[in-house]
Amino acid sequence: MSLPTLAAFADEFTPATQTELARFMADNFSTRQRVLYPVGGRTALHFGCPAVEPGVAISTAKLTGVIDYPARDMTVTVEAGIRIETLNELLSHERQRLPIDVPQSHRATLGGIIACNAGGARRFGLGTLRDYIIGISAIDAAGTQFKAGGRVVKNVAGYDLCKLLNGSLGTLGLITQVTLKLRPIPEATRWLWASFASFQEIEAAFDKLLLSATRPIAMEVLDATAAVQIAADARTSLPTDGPVLGLAFEGSAREVAWQIDTLQAELKLLGPRQVVITPDAEADGLWNALTEFEVTAEEPLTFKANVLPSRTMEFMELAAREQISVQAHAGNGIVIGHLPDRVTTAQTAAALLTPLRRFVRQYHGNLCIVNSPEAWKQEIPTWGESEPSWPLMQRLKEQLDPLDLLNRGRFIFPAPVPMDQG
Amino acid sequence: MSVSTPAVPTFGLDVLRRLREIVGAENLLSQREELLVYECDGYTIEKQVPDVVVFPTTTEQVVQIVKLCNEFQLPFIPRGAGTSLAGGSLPVGGGVMIALTRMKQILEVNLRDRFAIVEPGLVNVHLTQRLKGTGYHYAPDPSSQGACTIGGNVATNSGGPHTLKYGVTVNHILGVEAVMPDGSVVTFGGPAEDAPGFDMTGLFVGNEGTFGICTKAWVRLTRDPAAYRTMLGIFETVEAATQTISNIIGAGIVPAALEMMDSGIIEAVEAAFHFGFPLDAGAVVLIEVDGLEVAVDEEARTIIEICNTSGAREVRQANTPKERLLLWKCRKQAFGAIGRLSPSYCTQDGVVPRTKLPEILRLIVESGKRHNLRIVNVFHAGDGNIHPIILFDERDADQVQRVLHASDEILEACIELGGSVTGEHGIGVEKISFMSKLFSEADLATMLKVRLAFNPTGLCSPKKMLPTAGACGTEQQIVKTGVRAAM
Ligand SMILES: Cc1cc2nc3c(=O)[nH]c(=O)nc-3n(C[C@H](O)[C@H](O)[C@H](O)COP(=O)(O)OP(=O)(O)OC[C@H]3O[C@@H](n4cnc5c(N)ncnc54)[C@H](O)[C@@H]3O)c2cc1C
Ligand SMILES: Cc1cc2nc3c(=O)[nH]c(=O)nc-3n(C[C@H](O)[C@H](O)[C@H](O)COP(=O)(O)OP(=O)(O)OC[C@H]3O[C@@H](n4cnc5c(N)ncnc54)[C@H](O)[C@@H]3O)c2cc1C
Repeated sequence: MSLPTLAAFADEFTPATQTELARFMADNFSTRQRVLYPVGGRTALHFGCPAVEPGVAISTAKLTGVIDYPARDMTVTVEAGIRIETLNELLSHERQRLPIDVPQSHRATLGGIIACNAGGARRFGLGTLRDYIIGISAIDAAGTQFKAGGRVVKNVAGYDLCKLLNGSLGTLGLITQVTLKLRPIPEATRWLWASFASFQEIEAAFDKLLLSATRPIAMEVLDATAAVQIAADARTSLPTDGPVLGLAFEGSAREVAWQIDTLQAELKLLGPRQVVITPDAEADGLWNALTEFEVTAEEPLTFKANVLPSRTMEFMELAAREQISVQAHAGNGIVIGHLPDRVTTAQTAAALLTPLRRFVRQYHGNLCIVNSPEAWKQEIPTWGESEPSWPLMQRLKEQLDPLDLLNRGRFIFPAPVPMDQG
Repeated sequence: MSVSTPAVPTFGLDVLRRLREIVGAENLLSQREELLVYECDGYTIEKQVPDVVVFPTTTEQVVQIVKLCNEFQLPFIPRGAGTSLAGGSLPVGGGVMIALTRMKQILEVNLRDRFAIVEPGLVNVHLTQRLKGTGYHYAPDPSSQGACTIGGNVATNSGGPHTLKYGVTVNHILGVEAVMPDGSVVTFGGPAEDAPGFDMTGLFVGNEGTFGICTKAWVRLTRDPAAYRTMLGIFETVEAATQTISNIIGAGIVPAALEMMDSGIIEAVEAAFHFGFPLDAGAVVLIEVDGLEVAVDEEARTIIEICNTSGAREVRQANTPKERLLLWKCRKQAFGAIGRLSPSYCTQDGVVPRTKLPEILRLIVESGKRHNLRIVNVFHAGDGNIHPIILFDERDADQVQRVLHASDEILEACIELGGSVTGEHGIGVEKISFMSKLFSEADLATMLKVRLAFNPTGLCSPKKMLPTAGACGTEQQIVKTGVRAAM
């Protein structure tokens, strides 16, 4: 994938230690005041508005230390540049994990996924990153190192800046170190998929399934196109004769087996077309394909919408009618959509998105662009429509980064007028 | 105990008149004897009478009150049920106390989308009661849930016995409506997850009333567990009990609750309820797993095995719902029993990494010996959240001093062991002096900046949470600790 925003970075700095980084940033603040672009695994640099000014890319590539892993406390403290795959590998030796689904985990860094608030299907049962970050250290634009939270799983001392930095796209501080709360790796994981005649039928099924005797940890819905793509990527088979609902279970082998049986019995009453239980050997590949779906597409534009869970099926139907291939973390109302190839201009893309945007706004949601040609970003608002709380966010930004040095122009704040580049 | 002078002059009649116009005469208290009830919360050692207490019934009234306070430069402070154990709702700066207890409606219950919208004054347990039979519940259940409000829970990020598996308040709040300190109304988050922008909801929870007044909350509803297994592990020593707790967690089991009581508490509980606890045991651990019927037996079996191999003398199992309730009653009424042991007691709230539990409990024993005080323990062991209860007689000034020293010692030990000085009760006014021990100047300066974005004038809840509390002046010397309700 090309990374057009990188072109704007005139320079790059890769500190070996957090202290060196703090010094660099303090020096920058008191002298040249160049714009700083935090960089992790470079998997999502295109995410957000394009950088409009040259500045310095600050790479966390060398901040990869494991500070402390008291496995019996089920917490880990690591530097933010650590790759997710490396972290997972470390934790797996103790049969523990951070249960967040991360695309391109061999490259993505902990700091990067926190900056983007990454997450996938498991969020229905296991929550999101905000539920796992118990301590955080960062450096603000003036080079001041600050921290919040701590290393214990329960702690209410001070303001919860862990929450503030999660999803802040590196606009408030450069995240340098994180303490996470961990979970045990379950013995078994299994998916059951069922296709239905229509999205409405799936919505009707939810009415019953939400009170199922089982406790799924993921509730995914795919339109047939997305199902075909994901099945191919995962080298597994999914029903593709209509929109498809997938439920995942994790736990002891016995618990998972019981839930699959129970769910099958419950489903019989709900009239699915086809039911497929993913063979255990293909489960990892399937999790992977589901997680990578939002980033693998060659399609012209990818969006992420959030909407009331009960309106998700209606939204998907609206999108699928326009050949947008869609995946939903349906229990949470999160929908990823790829526009079809026939969309070749920003105008057609905008036209296609307008009714979708209107729909989500009606139901408390919004629609953000995850990926598109850079030029289109002028015409299509990356971060969706402004929310009433944005002015307050702006005040926070002004407090913590008064010169707007961190990821300037890339987040929800009004894009600055580009400075004279000469 | 000394009462500090209010930072503002006594009210002008015009202020009272206008407040009365906003909320109505029946929703305002201004007579000294009426105000006395509001001079403190569950932290009773410090007292400060507010100048007036108002009970708004709508968000619009809150807006008008806050705007009036701004007009007259009066400090104001939100209050829920006043069960804070840290002096969170103490009106340190005098001024207008805004009590939210008459805004207590459940505005919406939406089972399909798994949320409810509630007003801030709603008592926590009333939501639980309302949801009974729906298959859903609101997970955060602080022990004070019969009295405390959801607004207070949001402000303090409350925990409770089921935190271990289900998380604390912030893990269950989807959004809040708040009246900002300037009188504007803002909504953060809401029923649709992941709105673009910062996670303002996450930041707002736990602000201890310093970011504004919560007037509405969108709370997440959780499926009820299908089954429970409740056990009581009996141990010769505290070490064996805490080691077992660590082994259970290390085995990849996340129980719903892991609550420990030491011999001091066992003695008190046994004396009060004749429950049948072994008086020669060093500690007992109340263990509950919940989930699917097929899963809980397996987990319970594994736990019993771990207990046995870790040196439990015996593991009793609650075989019926009645037996389960009996066990829980014992745990929950432990505090009631303490009253029989001692005229006064002080509950501390500290946290250590769970593997450090044996160490901190040893230090607590030493501290008790050093200061010649009796300390008993009943706490959320699974989270490493200790609640040492120091027994004393408040009429004895020397004892009070020793209690203060022991408390400080224990909290400092928590910090040294890599923990925190509060797991759930909050900083309030009680623990302000510990903030600079937990955090660097830069950390606190950053937190102050965050507060300034919400509360630039410092009129809202002055002198709370941070040692350099907003615009209202210097840190006051806090007299610490006192006779407090339990937990
Ligand atoms: C809406 C959305 C879109 C996504 N799009 C993609 C995608 O297209 N491709 C993909 O692989 N994954 C994507 N993800 C998943 C996930 O967010 C990324 O895999 C991961 O966040 C990128 O990590 P990275 O280390 O590669 O970060 P980078 O790509 O290097 O950086 C991503 C962003 O995070 C900031 N950042 C990085 N490190 C830090 C730090 N230490 N402190 C502060 N800020 C930092 C950067 O400035 C940049 O804005 C997306 C997630 C979301 C929620
Ligand atoms: C017997 C007992 C047991 C307890 N057990 C637990 C427990 O298990 N877990 C636990 O976490 N705590 C426990 N507590 C502490 C206390 O109950 C909690 O902190 C609770 O959340 C306080 O709620 P409240 O409604 O009483 O708030 P108050 O005490 O009135 O106020 C607490 C703080 O919240 C602020 N506040 C209140 N309402 C609002 C609002 N609407 N908007 C903004 N700010 C507001 C106040 O200004 C104050 O700073 C216990 C207390 C007692 C007395």
